[in-house]
Amino acid sequence: MNALRWWWGILLTFALLGIARVFLPLPFMNEVVIFSIYAMGCNFLIGRVGYISFGQPAYLAFGAYACAFYLFYFGTNPYVGILVGVLGGLIVSLLIGPLFVRLRSDYFAMVNLALAVIVFYLTQKVLVGITHGDNGLWFLTRISSTPLLDLTIPSHFFIFSLLLAALVWAFYKYLDDSIYGACCLATKINENKLQFLGYHNFSIRLLAFVIANSTTALAGAMYAVYLGFVSPEMASPSRAADPVIVTILGGVGTLFGPIVGAIAYTGMKDVISKLIGNWELFIGFLLVFIMLVADKGIWGSLAPVLEKWLFRRKSPDSRGHD
Amino acid sequence: MITPQLLISGVIFGLSIGSIYFLLAIGLSLCFGLMRIISLDQLLYYSIGANITYSVNLLSGNMWWGVLAGMAVAALASFAVERVIFLRIYARDPTFSMITSFGILIGGIGIIKYFWGVVPRPVEVPTLLQVSIFGTEVPVYRLIVIAIAAVVYIGIWLFLHRTIVGKAIRAAIEDVEHVEGLGINVSRLFTLTFIIAGALSGLAGGLHAPLIMVDPTMGLEMLAFVFMVVIIGGLGSIKGTLVSALVIGQVVSLGSIIYAPMAQMAPFVIMLLVLLIKPTGLYGSPVFKR
Amino acid sequence: MSREILSVKGLNAAYGEAKVLFDIDMSVNTGQIVACVGRNGAGKTTLLKSIAGFLKPTSGSVTADNTLLSGMKSYDVAKFGVKYIPQDKKVFFDLTVRENLELGSYATKDYNWDQVIAYFPKLRLLMERKAGHLSGGERQMLMIGRAILGRPKVLLIDEPTEGLAPGIVAQLKSTFREISLKTSLLIVEQNLPLVCAIADKVYAVKDGRIVAELGDKESISVAACERYL
Repeated sequence: MNALRWWWGILLTFALLGIARVFLPLPFMNEVVIFSIYAMGCNFLIGRVGYISFGQPAYLAFGAYACAFYLFYFGTNPYVGILVGVLGGLIVSLLIGPLFVRLRSDYFAMVNLALAVIVFYLTQKVLVGITHGDNGLWFLTRISSTPLLDLTIPSHFFIFSLLLAALVWAFYKYLDDSIYGACCLATKINENKLQFLGYHNFSIRLLAFVIANSTTALAGAMYAVYLGFVSPEMASPSRAADPVIVTILGGVGTLFGPIVGAIAYTGMKDVISKLIGNWELFIGFLLVFIMLVADKGIWGSLAPVLEKWLFRRKSPDSRGHD
Repeated sequence: MITPQLLISGVIFGLSIGSIYFLLAIGLSLCFGLMRIISLDQLLYYSIGANITYSVNLLSGNMWWGVLAGMAVAALASFAVERVIFLRIYARDPTFSMITSFGILIGGIGIIKYFWGVVPRPVEVPTLLQVSIFGTEVPVYRLIVIAIAAVVYIGIWLFLHRTIVGKAIRAAIEDVEHVEGLGINVSRLFTLTFIIAGALSGLAGGLHAPLIMVDPTMGLEMLAFVFMVVIIGGLGSIKGTLVSALVIGQVVSLGSIIYAPMAQMAPFVIMLLVLLIKPTGLYGSPVFKR
Repeated sequence: MSREILSVKGLNAAYGEAKVLFDIDMSVNTGQIVACVGRNGAGKTTLLKSIAGFLKPTSGSVTADNTLLSGMKSYDVAKFGVKYIPQDKKVFFDLTVRENLELGSYATKDYNWDQVIAYFPKLRLLMERKAGHLSGGERQMLMIGRAILGRPKVLLIDEPTEGLAPGIVAQLKSTFREISLKTSLLIVEQNLPLVCAIADKVYAVKDGRIVAELGDKESISVAACERYL
């Protein structure tokens, strides 16, 4: 019963996204889907491990630049490019993860933000020779067409990213339900007790760190392929909180949160930028408002209502309280 | 080639940059030590200080009035923010306050953009005098910045060790509940500390204004450096903040003489090394109460 | 004549969903030493914290000297003269003994340290020492000394003798008697012989309820206390 429900949820969500594509502009939909993948990693870190990372743009940039280097200097196949991007993120997080996951959660948040700024400088000023600094790398025309799903065509790209998002989403759902997901949650709540049970905090956190940041790198690589262009702007510190905002907007730790958050955030960004043009002012106050008043987020507040409405015909105890 | 002249002016430059870092980081560090919040909005008060300095300097022609006005406005802004927002989140996790204060910072940048626009603006240096130190011409203004930071450090030390309110703050850094148990209203100490932190950030902004360009996002550019200073020194430690601010100042200054990109990369590498040896920074306490 | 100085009526307290205290009624008179005994986890510390305003009771009232304390902020309760001394013996380690006492004076505007020295002569010699370098007994002296500044009406002391050497416990015993002439004491204590030696009234607490009240000197004995544990 329970299994059926979340499968229905995933199908319904992605069917809705597919249908929405008919009514909404394609660039917007692509943005939403990539953004939701971006936020999924962050959501996992915050919701399951209790690590708030302000450095996600850094991992996004790692993925994007790894992919861009491949497509700019070496090959032309976008699928390989995305794979290279994910591998890049994986390797970087494996390298720095052991140092980072030893930190207390407040230091973790700060060090990650510092990392994002450093990556920004790195791509903008230090490695100008290979990143071309603020001019960025342009490789849209180098990306080759592939049979079946041709990623150079936006509508094909949308189908591809939608499938990929569903896959990532199902993967996180699987993690949540596994013993490992329970361990993650346990490190968040009480790290000492978990060690008494014979689990190793360090490796649990490291794995979570690597998984989440590889997901972020995947989103970065998808941006690179979709835009055919990368620039240091990706790791800009002013965008450091974007994935955190999306996660909180959607509802921390909920499965649908990242998708709902990404839709709301991207939608607002489009509308607000056109209406008042002062996006920072709006998002800043929105963030403070959410933190003070509604820290469950959109999905977190909506879910209980929806659930009540959907299941009101059944008796409450058949659902099982968790 | 590195000449003695270059070295001396590099050291002075580094000291003045370190002074700015110190003035900014001390607020963040104090707020964490006492209230257990990560107050990113200090960087907003820094930007406010700089922008007010720019405007007042333009109107009155005297930068020092601008710095004073900048401090005052920054103190007022921090007072309002503390009363309206932070009061509600003290009991929660430090990372919670970090997200909230990031919202304040971004929102504040929006407000600054609204009033001052996005174009970077220069502020005149109040004195173009140079003095000779060991045969090297050094701008007096940089020396003044260093002196002000030194006075602030001594002032804070005296405040914390010689006044009863300062002693209460030191006691509350150790244990808030025990201070309340004695009958002292801790939330007043919180407000006072936050205003002091905001005013010092405003001072940092005002003093930094003639040395760089003033624009709305200048706070974000300082963010990483202030973070690295606080992390290397250890959150909540005043002495640690001073030491690491001076070290980072020198690294940025002397590093850029040797190889320009070093200025940005070296502090980060130092931070990683320090964290590798001691995950809570040089002077940070390993225990974490509340 | 002794009169009621602290009175607790129908007090209920909870940590979130978990109820800890159930309908507590108790009273302390002037000049009295009242003890709460009970096993670990019975809710004794919670009781003291609720009286001192660190924990908001879900219902019930706490009055001291005809003034309603429940609903007051903890520092106002302390200022009014009901002071809580926690179990952890955490003086401010980074401050000297003198500075610790100064803070007590600052809150109450009572700068008469002679009364403290009269109870704890040893503190006079330790004035400039950092409190972090004191022994356990000296810390407890400092905590109590710092709290009696401002002549509080009631001191709430949580496990004062826990972890202290027997000689110091004996010393504290006589000091408690002296203090109680001016300030009533409500003590949570595990050391039953000590309780029986000094207490004028004993409440036995079990699972968040008061299960017995031994109200006169004759009925208080170790055996009587143990019956309710």
